[in-house]
Amino acid sequence: MNRPQTTDHRPSSIVRRPSSGFLNAIGAIVWKDLAAELRSRELLSAMLVFALLVILIFNFALELDPLTRRVATPGILWATFAFAGTLGLNRSMAVEKDRGCLDGLLLAPVDRSAIYFGKTISNLAFMLIVEVVVLPVYSVLYNTNLFNPGLIVVILLGSVGYVAVGTLLSSMAVQTRTRDVLLPILLFPVVIPILIAAVKASSGFLQGLALTEVMPYINLLIVYDVIFTAVAYMVFDYVVEE
Amino acid sequence: MKPQPIVLKVLNVASVLLFLAALGMVFLYAPLEATMNYVQKIFYFHVANAWVGMLGFIAAAVAGVVYLIKHDQKWDIVELAAVEISLVFFIIAIVTGSIWARPSWGAYWTWEPRLTTAAILEMVYIAYLLLRQGLDDPDRRARFSAVYTLIGAISVPITFMSIRLFRTIHPVVIGTNSTASQGNFDMTSKMLATMFFALFTFSVIFVNLFWHRIRLGQLAQQVEQLKLEELQ
Amino acid sequence: MIEYATSIKYMLAGYAVILTVLALYILSLFNRWRNLKRDLQTLKEIQKKD
Repeated sequence: MNRPQTTDHRPSSIVRRPSSGFLNAIGAIVWKDLAAELRSRELLSAMLVFALLVILIFNFALELDPLTRRVATPGILWATFAFAGTLGLNRSMAVEKDRGCLDGLLLAPVDRSAIYFGKTISNLAFMLIVEVVVLPVYSVLYNTNLFNPGLIVVILLGSVGYVAVGTLLSSMAVQTRTRDVLLPILLFPVVIPILIAAVKASSGFLQGLALTEVMPYINLLIVYDVIFTAVAYMVFDYVVEE
Repeated sequence: MKPQPIVLKVLNVASVLLFLAALGMVFLYAPLEATMNYVQKIFYFHVANAWVGMLGFIAAAVAGVVYLIKHDQKWDIVELAAVEISLVFFIIAIVTGSIWARPSWGAYWTWEPRLTTAAILEMVYIAYLLLRQGLDDPDRRARFSAVYTLIGAISVPITFMSIRLFRTIHPVVIGTNSTASQGNFDMTSKMLATMFFALFTFSVIFVNLFWHRIRLGQLAQQVEQLKLEELQ
Repeated sequence: MIEYATSIKYMLAGYAVILTVLALYILSLFNRWRNLKRDLQTLKEIQKKD
């Protein structure tokens, strides 16, 4: 397993140049996660298969005729992302905990929040990859055009907020006895603003509403992202403290 | 555990007396409302319960933040007490709200922003209790709980705003009496007096129960510590 | 205008809920207090024996 400092050949430089050490540490964590995933592919394949299954279930649960589809598509997409997201978040942290990586990271002479941002960025990357695959598949399956720049902005903003809170809460959940079931229970009630805003903004863009009608939701997503990234950054220390 | 201090005993008696007086005011003093008549009397205690739920929510958020700053176990006890009381009183508020809604607008549940937010807050609190249950180490439990309380305290107001935004852009007609559902019926001065008296009464009850719950938490902490000592 | 009979039924249901939930909560506080006291007593006795 890669240690976070492997990219930094002079560990003492972390002390002297904290800002670049911070960024290096984040980069190292992201790199470690992506490289490990590239080798095993267990996280992404699980998320992708799960996402496709969720869409399949929705197909039979809702009888998606062309008329229903128009109304239901944003909701189905976000439900899929949310479910697949928890799967990924849980797994990504559980791996960290089980292989003792979390302890290793905590021992590393870097700011703890670097661990938070590193994990958040790699979780975001996984989520975006899943979304990049799900969108065209959904488009093909349901003959709906989802290639809309507005929708992509919404998905980006929504995923950032979701992962910002999700990474914090999953690092708490993996340290509990009930870790397998706890994450969605902790996460869903607090990401409801994201789901509401993202679904509304997505359907606004897909139905070609005027930008002024969609903007309140975009603003809400931005506000949520900023607030929760800041809060999670501030409290992450309490979550990993030994 | 020390015996109940005098002030707490006074509060116990005051709570019971005020509660009886508030009931008396609701049923004997407040006039009947014209269109909803008797069922409108739920309004006084419904609002008072929601008010106590709010007080508990704020108290929990404050206790959580103070815990994160001070790292003192006693704030964890305060936080848990506040969450529990808020949970109980919001349940009452939600159920009485639904009972009132049924005859007024023909449905037990409408996805009205306040009602929905209260329900989501209940989910946050249940998640909070499940989180605590999954943690044995008191210090870690306190830290995680405080963090989650903080996340909930920030997200719930945003949830309320987003549901309201959702409703204003896509208004849903819930019934002809929908203004009445907001508590916007014409209140006479006697109704107002009754409402404020109920609010005052439940504030006293809140302080009283909060105090008892904190004492219970302190006792629980004592027992937990003794158990840990015994195990070592 | 809601019928008086219906209105009274819902009002009584509402106040029944309020009183029941409050009573149950206070009862649970009592119960937990009593159980903790008992635990405390037992623990203290065990400590004395040691």
